[in-house]
Amino acid sequence: MTQTRTLLVDDPILARSPFGPSHPFRAERGALTRALLEDCGALRDDDVAGVDEIDERLLTAVHDPAYLDALVRAGRGKPVDDARYYGLGTGDCPIVPGMHEVALRVGEATVSAAELVANGSARRVLHLTGGLHHAHRSRASGFCLINDLALAIEHLTRRRGLRVAYVDVDAHHGDGVQAAFWEREDVLTVSVHQSGRTLFPGSGFEDEIGEGAGRGYCVNLPLDPFTDDAGYLAAFDALVPAAVASFRPDVLVLQAGADAHWRDPLTQLGLSGDGLEAVFARVIAIAERCCDGRMIATGGGGYDAWRTVPRAWARLWGRLAERELPDVLPESWRRTWGERLGVRLPTHLSEATLPDLDSLTTERAASHALAIARRVATRASPLWRASD
Amino acid sequence: MLVRDVMIRNVVAIDPEMPIKDVTALMELRDIRHFPILEGDQDAASLVGIVSDRDLRAVGSPHPSARPDVTIHDAVRSIMVAPVTTAHPEDAIEDAAHRLRERRVGVLPVVDGDRLVGIVSARELLHALTAVTGPSEPSTLLEVEVSNRPGSLAELLHYLAGRRLNVSSVTTVRSEAEAVCVAIRVDSIDGPGVARDLLRAGWTVLWPDVAGGPAATPAGGSSTAT
Repeated sequence: MTQTRTLLVDDPILARSPFGPSHPFRAERGALTRALLEDCGALRDDDVAGVDEIDERLLTAVHDPAYLDALVRAGRGKPVDDARYYGLGTGDCPIVPGMHEVALRVGEATVSAAELVANGSARRVLHLTGGLHHAHRSRASGFCLINDLALAIEHLTRRRGLRVAYVDVDAHHGDGVQAAFWEREDVLTVSVHQSGRTLFPGSGFEDEIGEGAGRGYCVNLPLDPFTDDAGYLAAFDALVPAAVASFRPDVLVLQAGADAHWRDPLTQLGLSGDGLEAVFARVIAIAERCCDGRMIATGGGGYDAWRTVPRAWARLWGRLAERELPDVLPESWRRTWGERLGVRLPTHLSEATLPDLDSLTTERAASHALAIARRVATRASPLWRASD
Repeated sequence: MLVRDVMIRNVVAIDPEMPIKDVTALMELRDIRHFPILEGDQDAASLVGIVSDRDLRAVGSPHPSARPDVTIHDAVRSIMVAPVTTAHPEDAIEDAAHRLRERRVGVLPVVDGDRLVGIVSARELLHALTAVTGPSEPSTLLEVEVSNRPGSLAELLHYLAGRRLNVSSVTTVRSEAEAVCVAIRVDSIDGPGVARDLLRAGWTVLWPDVAGGPAATPAGGSSTAT
């Protein structure tokens, strides 16, 4: 019988922020979401799995040993030559004591999630603090030190012999994961994001399709600022389901950043909470159709950290574990975590305020998004078929 | 960037005496739309004309601009365009782009002295321009208006340096008497954070829009480099 279990991977170290308390990347988002789910009765103790260590060989398959060395030295407070070259000590990735421990644990947790699916212990596994898709082979970037997604995909492909479809719905392009598998035909990377013309990291344009054996196994859908739910979903539907289906993956990896939400302070997309949930639900349905539902999901971006992120990721867990969530959020959660974080937490799962977007702008963005999705599908589909 | 940086060096040129039907066949075979026409010995050959697929199609066509006196058995010399609008390898790509547009031609043979050394089309020039304006490493776009006076851009860059941001590209979006709008790419994911700091420090930030004005989209990174 097919395993139907859904698990959450977590570890005490993961509640620590690698960059300290004044940095916009809030590590508490995972713990905040977990607490919300527990207080709703949607997450029980036996839904949670721990984290296993990974070996050096997997790490060095994804990251340059010299970079790993620089990261560990920086985290231990030792001097690092060329820190800037490795993207360390920048405004985005400041050097903070112990940051390497958190970063490596995040990597181990996403690999653990992948292994739980690969060995049949669970069908779907979520790791909320993962999703650090900007980390490159020898460079930290955009709040990301270790590319946990690339580690998990490397584990699934090279050690488990599985074909992996990676779907990244963070508002930023998944550049680190794309680069890691740029020439690989056993990994399809799909990224739907605000265009690099207007948003970090400035890549993920439609002509980026992979090279060599990987040609056609990289799909990008860049969106204009202020693309709304309808525009996003129509473009997504015109491209992503067919791309993943024709790839015939064994397992799907979802990077579920919550920063495509209209309230996110770092991005300019215009999705609502319902829109984000609809995107997650679509990816889950794709995995259901293409690989018996086997998937792992991670968090990612999400900088409206207290209002938007816990609600979006709670909805993600609800979809993955197929559990109903109440609309009125538990008072216990609001009080405990509101005091701990010094913020006012939302009262309802549903959102009272909808994005106030100019209809001409959203219609233009929607029309553009659909045209791009169709262009990418038209160009790439012969490449997908050629692999049969 | 110069024409020599972007031109195609492996040029297929033909002799002016080649029959038009052979030129048509060669064009199809090579999948090329323009042939420069060289006359004289190999080492001393000089560019005497150019022929495009459009010139070839005019032969035997009922169109009013077609040449009723020419058949496909005649030499290509009879329909080639001469003199030829050319570029020099040291020309700036902006000059070449301007000439393409002004003379309404599709390609410019690149001639150094009397020698044909390459060919450049709008395609290569466009590619070069997008490489100039596009991002080359992970970065965020900022559009900032600075006053049109000595030192104002330097002050902006100095401010960004003080915030430990690396600048990977600077382009001009528009330039007016009072103000210059520059598109700057910085190595941070937190563009709005940088924009808010700039705003507080008195700069006019056009993108990202953190001032709370009507939703605007950036024009940025789409004009020529400074």
